[in-house]
Amino acid sequence: MAEGVKGPERFLPLTPAVFHILLALADGEKHGYAIMQEVEDMTEGRVQMGPGTLYGSIKRMLAAGLIEESDDRPDPALDDERRRYYRLAALGRKVLRQETERMAGLKDDGGQDA
Amino acid sequence: MRERNSAPASIDLSVQIYTWLLAAYPERFRAEYGPHMAQVFRDVCQRESRRGGLPGLAALWARTSLDLIRTSVEEHIDRGIDMNRENFVRWSGWALMAGAVLFAAGLILGSFDTNYSDPIGGLDAFYEISQIVGIVLGQILFVIGLLGLRAGYGTRSGSVGGALLLIAVIGGVVSLGGMLIMNSSELGWTAWALGLLTMTLALTGYGGVAIRRRVFSRWYFAPLLAGVVIPVLFGVSAAIDSSGGSMEDWTFAVGVSATAVGLILLGYRMQAEAATTSQALA
Repeated sequence: MAEGVKGPERFLPLTPAVFHILLALADGEKHGYAIMQEVEDMTEGRVQMGPGTLYGSIKRMLAAGLIEESDDRPDPALDDERRRYYRLAALGRKVLRQETERMAGLKDDGGQDA
Repeated sequence: MRERNSAPASIDLSVQIYTWLLAAYPERFRAEYGPHMAQVFRDVCQRESRRGGLPGLAALWARTSLDLIRTSVEEHIDRGIDMNRENFVRWSGWALMAGAVLFAAGLILGSFDTNYSDPIGGLDAFYEISQIVGIVLGQILFVIGLLGLRAGYGTRSGSVGGALLLIAVIGGVVSLGGMLIMNSSELGWTAWALGLLTMTLALTGYGGVAIRRRVFSRWYFAPLLAGVVIPVLFGVSAAIDSSGGSMEDWTFAVGVSATAVGLILLGYRMQAEAATTSQALA
């Protein structure tokens, strides 16, 4: 019982903002603006997050243990050291995988229904 | 830094105004994320200014204003309500479980009352009082449980799921009202039955949504089981009545028990998931 309740399933389904942020961080740590740009690129501009949505989601995702702050800097010489970088936590990676599978399942169900 | 110094005045002005507007957020959130939000806004301003000039900046302001209004309200609500909401969902889960037991016990014990028209007394009095207390208290707890279900799961259930939960709550309130005026008005019986039917039909519909959207991490079927049996019993009872027969007591008891099991499973999931989320938020 406890295993099921504490598992990644309790976060599903994800909100679109949380899902896109997790997806943007899947290939490595990023700062806020880079996450925002990655989301816009991934969705071909269909999803444009404002700073409030971005950092409100980041706050909740940090609290839930889906992402974590990173102390590393890819290249301090190239970037403003005041920026905060974020990366996927192990739980966030599991949640992202399960959400992707869930959505694929829904798509399959829809395809079969049609 | 060089980019910042060479930025057009419109960008500096925009960032300055945005920084002032950040005062709309709760102080703790602003202290933690305000400088980063302003930095991101500056980056986006520079990009939009390069791409579209002043019209691009104006479009950015339109999007950002809506974002600011929506998320500042959310943060204020979150700050006060997050923990309270999870606690409410948790306790309403317990309310649903207790309500299910009381409701089922009340209805089943009430069915043993063999003489409804006699003055209250003897063994029948026990059955009658159990029935009244069980059903009334059970329905009060149902309504609390359904409110908690909507508070905790309304958003992730989508617009249809949220609307069905609202209808279920309204049905529960109507049914409870009918129960309370049953002794003084014939309308009470009708309101009780219609309210109960509305509540359970809406819960049945919500059960379908919950399964399709996988709203719960486990026991997806619980809301459907909690809702579907009572409408079926109503239908079967009406069919039997119209043919001149009467429903067997054991059929009724099994049906009510199945409903209670569905509600108990649903309540258990609600309190378990809310307890885990509370721990994650703490």
